[in-house]
Amino acid sequence: MLDANAQETPLVQMSEIYKHFGGVHAVEGVSVDLYPGEVVGVLGHNGAGKSCLMQILSGAMIPNGGEIYVNGQEADLKSPHDAKKFGIETIYQTLALANHLDAAQNLFLGRELKTRFGNLDEARMHTEAQDALRQLNPNFKNLKDPVAKLSGGQRQVIAIARAIYFQAKVLIMDEPTAALGPSETSMVADLTLRLKDEGIGIFLISHDMHDVFDLCDRVMVMNKGRNVGTFHIEDVNKDDILSLIIKGTLPDGWAPRGESK
Amino acid sequence: MSNTNGNTKLRFLPTGSSLHKLSALLTLLLLILAFSFTSPAFLSVNNGLTVLLQTSVIGLLAIGMTLVIITGGIDLSVGSVLALSGVVAGLAIKAGVPVMPAMAFGILAGAFCGFINGLVITKLRITPFVATLGMMMIARGVALQLTGAAPISRLGEAFGQLGNGSFFRIVEMQANGFPKVIFPGIPYPAVLLVVMALIGGFLLQRRQIGRHIFSVGSNEEAARLSGVKVDRTKIWAYTASGALAGLAGMVLMSRLVTVQPNEGVMYELDAIAASVIGGASLMGGVGSISGSMIGAFIIGVLRNGLNMAGTSAFIQQIIIGIVVIGAVYIDQIRNRN
Repeated sequence: MLDANAQETPLVQMSEIYKHFGGVHAVEGVSVDLYPGEVVGVLGHNGAGKSCLMQILSGAMIPNGGEIYVNGQEADLKSPHDAKKFGIETIYQTLALANHLDAAQNLFLGRELKTRFGNLDEARMHTEAQDALRQLNPNFKNLKDPVAKLSGGQRQVIAIARAIYFQAKVLIMDEPTAALGPSETSMVADLTLRLKDEGIGIFLISHDMHDVFDLCDRVMVMNKGRNVGTFHIEDVNKDDILSLIIKGTLPDGWAPRGESK
Repeated sequence: MSNTNGNTKLRFLPTGSSLHKLSALLTLLLLILAFSFTSPAFLSVNNGLTVLLQTSVIGLLAIGMTLVIITGGIDLSVGSVLALSGVVAGLAIKAGVPVMPAMAFGILAGAFCGFINGLVITKLRITPFVATLGMMMIARGVALQLTGAAPISRLGEAFGQLGNGSFFRIVEMQANGFPKVIFPGIPYPAVLLVVMALIGGFLLQRRQIGRHIFSVGSNEEAARLSGVKVDRTKIWAYTASGALAGLAGMVLMSRLVTVQPNEGVMYELDAIAASVIGGASLMGGVGSISGSMIGAFIIGVLRNGLNMAGTSAFIQQIIIGIVVIGAVYIDQIRNRN
């Protein structure tokens, strides 16, 4: 049922990923793939291993086993730095912002623009950051304030701008709308669709069923560290997904619901 | 809405760290004013230069300490590393190495101690407090062991140049055949301190390493996820602190023209106090070289002024202790707002 894109090389292919902490098996033999211009929802309870799996892809965590291929090439992601080199950008649930730095300093953290002499090019970073942030939120002000002083929505905008400024090919969004109001949430939804149209592959971790059904092409459900099912979004409804999240199995007598099959 | 109005109204007033620095500067000026009244000799060119000379060692240590404190760490080993660096330089001179390379060896020894601090903290994941406390004892022990706890003297006049020489010194021969010092000159250590402070400030504000030091202290996990090499940044900061402790050791030992393996005890506390008075936060992410220099001079002026007013060394400790607590209290009030 998932062979629609079979002839194409997947943008990301994670195969048989394992991760354990002492005796706790957080991720057990999970395989998932992602194609260009596709949004794949990653669902599951808290502690089901979805954040862990995504952190492995973003280089923040090193798996105990399994392979990751980006564009068919094996990728050894030992640090977030490595992942970024493969065009994998992440919007973390915690936003990963340094509170004492301002918006531009955070946006370029780890990838600072420099002048000819190797000094920080504050002026250029500031204007670039201003452009990037205004694209997402035209009212973005207080660029020179430390981000600790900004609102949740503004902080979220910085985290998103940081991910897309550097031309991500793969975007991991970990609960991107958890801290946002309704208008900002719809802004993120529009942005997600726009990025998808540009051919970016997106992994979306979300608890919001609305978001999932509005934005995702496929969903992958995790339960107790295992992948309990990957489906086209037309083939399942909310109850099916909830059953997978809670019980780890589909309801009895389930058949694909989509017209496509 | 009223909140934003309040913000725009207050924009002309200094906020946050600049407020803290301003209050520290004001304290410094008030101290100078107060001491000028209590002792007439305080506000003289000669005494000013003495303060400069006395502060240069603490100032050099405070530069390195500030870098480390901004990463969210602390370096308790600088006083001992200072002594060990002096011993290394002294032994090298005794072994026939010329003064300049010998001093370079001394500074390298300091940098090496700092590098080990950095490795222990990042690779063995031992907290900075414990790691540098260990290094404090190890470096002191090595310094005492190498020398048998005896000072190394007769190091030659060239060794005393760095600590005792000065620029623009004007001496006039009097009719009676005795020289008269017209202007004592700007001591080399003071010039060295200014140069190192400028370099430190430049690295911290204008270079990538400085930005990364701030980010690591502000939110280590965020820095790591942003692609900052956290371990390397920390090791860099501790190595710089060790090298500056080595340089401070050269200045101090050169001033005495003798290597004292038991010099520099508790200097780390003065350096930490200077950074904290200057606005560095022990929680990390906040601090500046200029602030720490003001802090170092507050301590220097306090010591000098109290000495000249005839205050006992014990009372001096009490006063400096109160100043440190006061500075941290101001910092906390600032953070609450």
